[in-house]
Amino acid sequence: MITPIVFVVDDEPAVLEAVTRLLRSADYQTRSFSSPQAFLEQHDAAQPGCLVLDVSMPNLSGLRVQEQLTASGVTRPIIFISGRSDLSTGVRAMKAGAVDMLTKPFDDDALLDAVGKALERDASERATHAERRSIERRLALLTAREREVLTHVVAGKLNKHIAADLGTVEKTVKVHRGRVMQKMGATSIAELVRIADRGGVKPAAVSCRQLIRPYWRGAAAE
Amino acid sequence: MGIGDSVVFWRSWSAVSARTPLFSADLFRLTGLASFVDLRDVRAMFLVAVAYYIGAKVGFAFTFDPLPISVLWLPNSLLLAALLLTPTGFWWKLILAVLPAHLAAELPSGVPIAMVFGWFVSNCSEALLGAFCIRRFASAPLRFDSFHDVIVFVLFGVMLAPLLSSFFDAMLVTSIGWGQGDYLQLVSTRFFSNMLAVLMVVPVVLTWASIRLVPMDRTMLWRGAEAGLLLLGLIVIGVTVFQGKGWFANPAFFYAPLPFLLWAAVRFGPTGISAYLVVFGLFAIWGATHGKGPFLSGFPENDVRSVQLFLIFMSIPLLMLTAVVGERRKVEKTLKRSEERAAKIFHSSASPMVIVRLSDGVCSGVNARWEELFGYSRAEVNGHSFLEFNPFINRRDRRALLNQIATEGYVQDFEIDLRDRGGHTHRVSVTAQTIELDDELCGMFSVRDVTEQRNSERDALEQRRQLMHLSRVVMLSELSGALAHELNQPLSAILSNAQAAQRFLSKQQIDVGELREILADIVSEDQRAGEVIRRLRALFKQGETNFQALDLNELVSDVLNLARGDFILRDIDVVTDIASPLPLVFGDRVELQQVLLNLIVNACEAMTDKASTGRTLSIGADISSGHAIRLYVRDQGPGIPIEKLERLFEPFFTTKPQGLGLGLSISRTIISAHGGQLWGVNNPDGGACFQIILPTWRSQ
Repeated sequence: MITPIVFVVDDEPAVLEAVTRLLRSADYQTRSFSSPQAFLEQHDAAQPGCLVLDVSMPNLSGLRVQEQLTASGVTRPIIFISGRSDLSTGVRAMKAGAVDMLTKPFDDDALLDAVGKALERDASERATHAERRSIERRLALLTAREREVLTHVVAGKLNKHIAADLGTVEKTVKVHRGRVMQKMGATSIAELVRIADRGGVKPAAVSCRQLIRPYWRGAAAE
Repeated sequence: MGIGDSVVFWRSWSAVSARTPLFSADLFRLTGLASFVDLRDVRAMFLVAVAYYIGAKVGFAFTFDPLPISVLWLPNSLLLAALLLTPTGFWWKLILAVLPAHLAAELPSGVPIAMVFGWFVSNCSEALLGAFCIRRFASAPLRFDSFHDVIVFVLFGVMLAPLLSSFFDAMLVTSIGWGQGDYLQLVSTRFFSNMLAVLMVVPVVLTWASIRLVPMDRTMLWRGAEAGLLLLGLIVIGVTVFQGKGWFANPAFFYAPLPFLLWAAVRFGPTGISAYLVVFGLFAIWGATHGKGPFLSGFPENDVRSVQLFLIFMSIPLLMLTAVVGERRKVEKTLKRSEERAAKIFHSSASPMVIVRLSDGVCSGVNARWEELFGYSRAEVNGHSFLEFNPFINRRDRRALLNQIATEGYVQDFEIDLRDRGGHTHRVSVTAQTIELDDELCGMFSVRDVTEQRNSERDALEQRRQLMHLSRVVMLSELSGALAHELNQPLSAILSNAQAAQRFLSKQQIDVGELREILADIVSEDQRAGEVIRRLRALFKQGETNFQALDLNELVSDVLNLARGDFILRDIDVVTDIASPLPLVFGDRVELQQVLLNLIVNACEAMTDKASTGRTLSIGADISSGHAIRLYVRDQGPGIPIEKLERLFEPFFTTKPQGLGLGLSISRTIISAHGGQLWGVNNPDGGACFQIILPTWRSQ
């Protein structure tokens, strides 16, 4: 597993240095940036870790950095540090998903607790993200027909209903279903449903008529 | 024609003249001359004509055969006197007026017509020439009270005019062949007789004509008595000397009247001496023409000449003496009056004044206001040295004051502290001049108590300082967020460093190098925090203004450091463009910082509502023109409405909801006190720009 890094951004060199030191004393890996621009340029979203960010910096404030990260789809947990306690800024930051907002000068425990929490959140987010991506990868292996069958399966339909809906025979549906189970790595229908759900697969629509028709149609056929 | 005839004539003429005013008025009204000739003019013309006529008759009375020329020919001098009493424009009327009198006097005497008119011409020309010259050269209307005017009178009236007219007259007489006598004898007889006549008639007429009647009082009574006594003496002497015979006819008695005439000259002025000269002259002439007195030589003609010369030589110096005495008396009077006036001004002056002898500091006079201010009475001060009262609070002041008056002779608005009797200190402004009193150099010191004025000025200054301080405090409280930010940075760095160090120390392996760095950082951050506090304290402090040479570069960077937090919190870019090196300016550091900080805070506030991309504050300084530095603070806010540009500097005018409205007005006061200017303009590309002009140090 890759070691998480705590990124520190503050235009104030003395504060930057001190905070970095404090984090190092708690055995965190750190990278410090004295300007938000430099941080954004060198940012690697894949690197696990969290961000300790100064609110008030010339040219680009901490809140703007947060906005930019969010806009580019990065969900790195952020701990804001601020030179003055300003409620409205705090509320804005927290609403936008910040882990914490610390007013300088802050206690070491406050910072380290926040960093711990942030790294935890990062780790769990990263895990969620990783699972979802593997599901997506597996979904990508499915053919169009298999994917169609999957949507009907997760909708809880019987094979014969699926075959009816797709205009094919029950046997063919059974074969597709087996392949889907195999490709998605599911051992049971319940698991398939869970994976499909995490993968964002939406169940096919089931209408009342669809539920009733097979009986009279089937009867007719039989 | 004898005197008796003339008296008869005078009587009949006066009978007519009594009705003349009415008569002439009617006549003139009828002939339409009323508007042309004034009634009073007619009266004057008539009077002169009558006098001329009588004068001529008297002259005839003093005419001795075989010479056709009188020894005392009065008409010319009477006419001269009349001319001198009337305005020049009136002269031709007088000449017209005397023509009938001349004819009336001379035609009955059997004088040839040609001679009569000739004489008229010579008489009138003599009078006109004399009158013209006297009026031209005398400094004032002739009243015999000025030496210069007496000289002019003698030169032109007594000598030149009679001499010229006498030559002309004698020429006429010889050419017409009237009477006997050779030319020069005629000239000299007429000359001397006219001289004498002018000398006797003109002064008495002119001085007596200008007498103004005043109510009698005791002194006039005494003067009257003295004049009477003098007249009596003169008559006694006149009778004794000029009517006497034998022993009294001794030529030494010429001098007998002199003491009385001197008495008259010294005591009674031109009016007196002219009258006494007439009395004296009449005695002398009377005596001589009647073969009496000290001039007897056996030939009346010679006697007359002697009398004439004697009187001429007597009168001229006496008239001059009188004029000199009169002038001197006038000067004395003026002097006395001006002295009195000076004393009055001194004593009634609204400013306290003292006169001090410079050699030893002895006071010779103080006025009422001085007594009032310092509590010493006149009697206590006069004759005592000024220093006895120990009035000077500061010895150096005293020395400077006395030095200046000794070297320059005057002192203007010299401010010193003086002590009064009760020991209270008065701040006074001294103005002094040296004057000479009784041949000793004195100083006349006039003081103005400016204690109240200085006190109120000091109070005003103190109030201004307090107000300045108040506005500074208000401004700093507006900046409090930014200032907290500025302090929190180093405090935060210190805390984190210290806690990091604690954590490092609890580890098994201690990195001493790391700890050393931490401690160094703590020290420098602590110093930085201290610096912020120091700057703040300087601004919060309510101290005396302290002018010194200042570097604007340093001043601006100090202020920018203080306001840095504000720039960050408000997301403002700061662009500085300060020429380096800049000449120093002379001023108070805190006050100038206050002005700059005020302009910066205003500029920041002006840009708060703007999109954060365009918030730029520019500060610059350069040499504007020779001896001045221009400083500007420019923002990119909305600018200032034109109508508010000047009002911004009025006290209590504000555009901010929480503003006190003091900042800019105090800033302008501060800059004015530094000899500079502060004003605001709008930039062509938006926003406002406040500019300061400050004189450089050396140019102040």
